[in-house]
Amino acid sequence: MRGYANLRRLLSLMRQDRLRMLGGFGLAVLAALAAVGLMTVSGWFIAAMALAGAAGTAINYFTPAALIRLCAILRTGGRYGERLATHDAALRGLARLRGWLLRRLIPLSPARLAGLRSAELFARLRADIDVLEQWYLVVLVPGGVALVGTGLLIAAFAWWLPVALLVVVPAVCMAALAVPALLRQRTREDAAAVVQETALVRGHLIDAVRGHAELLAWGADAAQAHQIMQCDAQATARRLRMARHEALGASLSPLIAQIAVLGVIGCAYPVVMHGHLAPAFLVMLVLLLLAGYELMAPLPEAAIQAQTAARAAERVFALADVQPALREPPVPAVMARPPGIRFRGVALRYEKGAPLALDGVDLDLAPGARVAIVGASGAGKTSLIRALQKFYPLEKGEITFGGQPLEAVNGDDVRRQIAVIGQHPVLFNRSLRENLVLAAGDAREEEIARAVEAAQLQAFVRALPDGYGTLLGEGGVRVSGGEARRITIARALLQEAPVLILDEPTEGLDSRTAQELFTALEAASRGRTVMVVTHRLAGLARLVDEVVTMEAGHIGGRVPVSAYVGGFHPG
Amino acid sequence: MEAVRWLREETLRIRRPLWRAGGFTALAAFATVGQAWFLARLLAAIVFPRAAAGPLWKSALFFLVAIGVRAYAVSLGRRTAEAASLGLRTDLRKRFLRHIQSLDPLTLRAQASGDLMVRLVDGIDALGPYYARYLPQASAAVIMPVIAVLAIFRADWVSGLILVCTAPFIPVFMVLVGHNAERAADQRFAQLRRLGAAFIEALGHLTTLRELGAAQRVADGLDAESETYRQLTMQVLRIAFLSSLVLEFFTTVSIALIAVFIGFRLLAHDLAFSAGLFVLLLAPELYAPLRALGTLRHARLEALAAAESLQHIEGAGRPPPAGKGAAPAAAPVLALQDVYFGYGGQPVLKGCSCTIRPGQVTALIGESGAGKSTILQLLLGFGQPASGVVTVDGKDLATLDPVGWRARVSLIPQAPTVFTGSLRHNLLLAMPSADPPTLDRALKESGLDTVVARLPAGLETPLGEHGVGLSGGQLQRLGLARAWLRTGACVWLFDEATAHLDRESAQCIGERIRAGASTRTVLLVAHRLEAAQKADWVIVLADGRVVEEGPPAMLASQAGAYSALLAAAAP
Repeated sequence: MRGYANLRRLLSLMRQDRLRMLGGFGLAVLAALAAVGLMTVSGWFIAAMALAGAAGTAINYFTPAALIRLCAILRTGGRYGERLATHDAALRGLARLRGWLLRRLIPLSPARLAGLRSAELFARLRADIDVLEQWYLVVLVPGGVALVGTGLLIAAFAWWLPVALLVVVPAVCMAALAVPALLRQRTREDAAAVVQETALVRGHLIDAVRGHAELLAWGADAAQAHQIMQCDAQATARRLRMARHEALGASLSPLIAQIAVLGVIGCAYPVVMHGHLAPAFLVMLVLLLLAGYELMAPLPEAAIQAQTAARAAERVFALADVQPALREPPVPAVMARPPGIRFRGVALRYEKGAPLALDGVDLDLAPGARVAIVGASGAGKTSLIRALQKFYPLEKGEITFGGQPLEAVNGDDVRRQIAVIGQHPVLFNRSLRENLVLAAGDAREEEIARAVEAAQLQAFVRALPDGYGTLLGEGGVRVSGGEARRITIARALLQEAPVLILDEPTEGLDSRTAQELFTALEAASRGRTVMVVTHRLAGLARLVDEVVTMEAGHIGGRVPVSAYVGGFHPG
Repeated sequence: MEAVRWLREETLRIRRPLWRAGGFTALAAFATVGQAWFLARLLAAIVFPRAAAGPLWKSALFFLVAIGVRAYAVSLGRRTAEAASLGLRTDLRKRFLRHIQSLDPLTLRAQASGDLMVRLVDGIDALGPYYARYLPQASAAVIMPVIAVLAIFRADWVSGLILVCTAPFIPVFMVLVGHNAERAADQRFAQLRRLGAAFIEALGHLTTLRELGAAQRVADGLDAESETYRQLTMQVLRIAFLSSLVLEFFTTVSIALIAVFIGFRLLAHDLAFSAGLFVLLLAPELYAPLRALGTLRHARLEALAAAESLQHIEGAGRPPPAGKGAAPAAAPVLALQDVYFGYGGQPVLKGCSCTIRPGQVTALIGESGAGKSTILQLLLGFGQPASGVVTVDGKDLATLDPVGWRARVSLIPQAPTVFTGSLRHNLLLAMPSADPPTLDRALKESGLDTVVARLPAGLETPLGEHGVGLSGGQLQRLGLARAWLRTGACVWLFDEATAHLDRESAQCIGERIRAGASTRTVLLVAHRLEAAQKADWVIVLADGRVVEEGPPAMLASQAGAYSALLAAAAP
């Protein structure tokens, strides 16, 4: 039942579109009823006409003939209108859901969304959102129409032929609910296993492609292929079993409905013979049952989708309801500019029970200080930055930024003053301009040009087909590693932040490309507090005055850069 | 258009089961006719008891038989089609996998590898509904109307004429409308997809957006984009739904026409009631498969989209013929003689000649793109030079049995691939026959033992997407451990194998390499010069040619390419 509470909540998210959704649903019901009406009235009409012909009596055929025409128009127009209206409502709902979810997740990132870094969990979130976006179209509308149709069917039988309810009600329950539920239960295990096995096939396949050279070098390619095809064969066997059940369901439910027709005729026979029911109504009721069943046909699918949606909603809401790791102060304190930075006994743990990522960090950086933070991977360099950005709560100690403890200031305000140029430059699938001004939405044309020049991107921009308007990434222009870094440098420059963090800025670049980047980096770091995070200083030494070494989550030492380079760099 | 042809060609592979499924569809169609016929007779016998053409129970019994046969045929038809579709998918996967594994790694790398997995799993699965549902439904949409119209003609030629006159319009109009809809959809498709993907992109990069202080702004921007997305989609749908409107219109109009015509002819004694009712019962069945086909249209579109990307997989590259010669027993002399090599039309090696001698460490340095990694690949026998030869102890590498040769070589890549499975599986993949003492020694000498000690389940800890992630340094240790496991290797090829290690570990590993070099041929590709400085011999590569070689100390003292690189790297 909790699942359905989640679905109610989903509905309430879309309450602004309630009227549209209701309108679409109304049109769907109208079209469905018109379809049933067409067959039902037609059945009654031809039976009544035949009887009148046989008896040689007069009959008012204008009303039923007009009704048939009306049903025909309503069915045609209603169906088109319904599909437009429901899709429009669904798209509006989609926009609301996305906007809501994104705004809920923003404050949770990254501390509470560690799981989303896993490609698989992220893919599941995507799939869940897809399901929820389709929910109105594949669950609510057809399910609702089926329920309304079933209700009318039962009401019609209760009115004309109550005794047939003994057949109709159990048949409806069996065909629309029991049989699909039974089959679902039989296939549940297989369905779950198929998902896992497919994930495994996916994993092994990625491995086979990524590790192709190694597999060939080891002569292990056949073994890997065997493993993949084995997982695939298992999944295929399960799918075949599921297909058998589905095929059974696809034929069993209509079979039950047809048998019910025979049952209705059996019930009606004595009633008609005794003259309690006009024979024309019997024909009408049989056609009503046949046409009404068509309405019920989507019910099993809707029931499955409802469960899927309920589970998806549960997961999405569970994620969206996570409390942010950090609370922002109601009245943020004002920070000094340019800010000094101070760490005092800072300890940080990513999760309960996890080892300390930072363990007693003490560090002072005056405004304008230029330091390198050097240490092996796992020494806590990145954690230091994450803590400073107010992304994670501290276990112990205090960080002050611009004279204010981080708890007293707004995280967004702190981050606005810290520009980061990272190891893995993130470019968005948008235009170059949009990518550049992400951190400074109101940047002026000449400011952008200046940043581009400082980052030595002019030649790159000139070569682009649409200049600043060129799309980057997938579907747009591919950007090399060096260019991507330059774009992030220009972006950081536009941010006009007093603190600049360079996180392994030349990692993964060959030495010439790295060399060429230094000029841009020097331009970016001029007049700012600079923290260069790296596991090897090498050429980055020219960007800093001091070197802070980190080991096992705390500061190991701090020396002038001349002393560090002189002491370590081999001839 | 090519995708259509590809789909059709693949369809031919399962034409037998598809024909069988078609046979079941025809059987179901006949049963449907029988079902309508006997139901009409049953009802007619009740409405006009005196005109009954036989006992009631007989019609009832035949009706039961007909619905039973129909259910059976539908179920079997679906099972047959589904099994054929699953079989085809497995075959395709196997075929593509075999093809991909036969490519040399350089060719495979040129084919955007991440995308390949999606194509092999999701792409092939996207074909499923097309073969299992769409094609059988398409044949039903032909078989059912033909059989139904013939039966209706026999019962009442006037109704038959109405249907024959209206039915042909349906496909014509659907094609006309559908064609326009497809074009309209195509035009907007790229734009739609970009808008749809923007949300997922934002979700995936929330932390970056927060760092840039752009999260809120992007969320607001997405709201506006969702609205654009909705408007564009609705424009497409308004046209796309026209095809269902056409179908709905003709279905409805012909049923209404038939009902009214039959009614009046019954009144005028022009037609037997059972024949009239039979036509009315069967008329909706005529359109049902066409309408069902409409709901499966997306299955065809998705299959076409998938075929678009699948059809080219087998086109790329052809496996080179393998040699048969025996691999050398002891450390060989490796040499490139005037080798030209390129991929994707881009020349990489342009007359490269060099010799790598056994018993010493040779370092290969040069700018990225100079061809260093390519040389490693060629030495493994991946890819063949356009001209010139790669030799092993003077013999052309192409004449050696590649499997035997690779068994003598250990490749230590820059970023070793982590395969889904336990750490043990990851190690033994490189050498399935390694015994426990060898494994222990390899762990110790690579420094992986300290990593294993900290893992929750030691060697059995699952790695990869579903398991523990390894840091860059740990990954390189894994690569080294794999190499040390291959005790039979007399050639070691290191591709920048210590870049992610801290200085001390790198030194440690360097010593191990030096020790191993006494009985092996060792080639080190170095992006960083530190590793080269300790080698016995340095080969400097520039623009696909060797520009300088010799002992590092000697080269450093000359004013050549090497000392220029040294000067550039110095802070």
